[in-house]
Amino acid sequence: MPQREFEITIGKTGEVELHVKGIKGRGCLEAVKMFEQIVGEMKSQEQTGEFYEPEEQVQYRVDQRH
Amino acid sequence: MSAVCILTPVVIMAWPAFSAAVVAAAGSLGWQMAAEARDQLAATVQPGSARVQLEIERSEVVTNQLGRDQRIAVSREGVTVTFSRDARGQAALCVTGHGQSDETLRALGEELSQAVVQQYVYQKLMDEMRARGFNVVEEEVNADRSIRLKVRHWEN
Repeated sequence: MPQREFEITIGKTGEVELHVKGIKGRGCLEAVKMFEQIVGEMKSQEQTGEFYEPEEQVQYRVDQRH
Repeated sequence: MSAVCILTPVVIMAWPAFSAAVVAAAGSLGWQMAAEARDQLAATVQPGSARVQLEIERSEVVTNQLGRDQRIAVSREGVTVTFSRDARGQAALCVTGHGQSDETLRALGEELSQAVVQQYVYQKLMDEMRARGFNVVEEEVNADRSIRLKVRHWEN
């Protein structure tokens, strides 16, 4: 079962540093957007390698037999 | 790790939540509730008293009690900080103290207002993460007074 994990540091001025873990691609963007809605304005953002990896997809192949 | 980002808080809250954040933040820094905000303010504004006015940036205190004078005051070692909602709805604070320089009062006010914002962000994050089904698996307060949380959510 996959999990989503966030590490959040609330600085003494109230500024929030967010580490998004284990989420790739678009899912990561959605997670960041959720925190923007909760906390406020984005000051800076840095994507690491995993961000650019494709999201895991399941492909189905259907063969039609006559 | 997929992304690291820094977010600047925007503080929007109702007066009861704001005053609760003030009480929690003030308590953590050793400030005590002043008996009656207005009396305390009157008592501290004496000849020789310094007074500094500050505001909390990017804040909005929502109230449905128009015209009602809402204030909360805390004091420590002869310095009183009175929080209020200004005419534009922004959170404001007035720092007064006898025999203190403006710089000292400003520094005390800023330290306290930052702690109020931190308390607001902490409470909002805890409420919102729990509402979204996340569990807080780690929580600690660092030596620099920053708060570190680790939250986790298992997908179905």
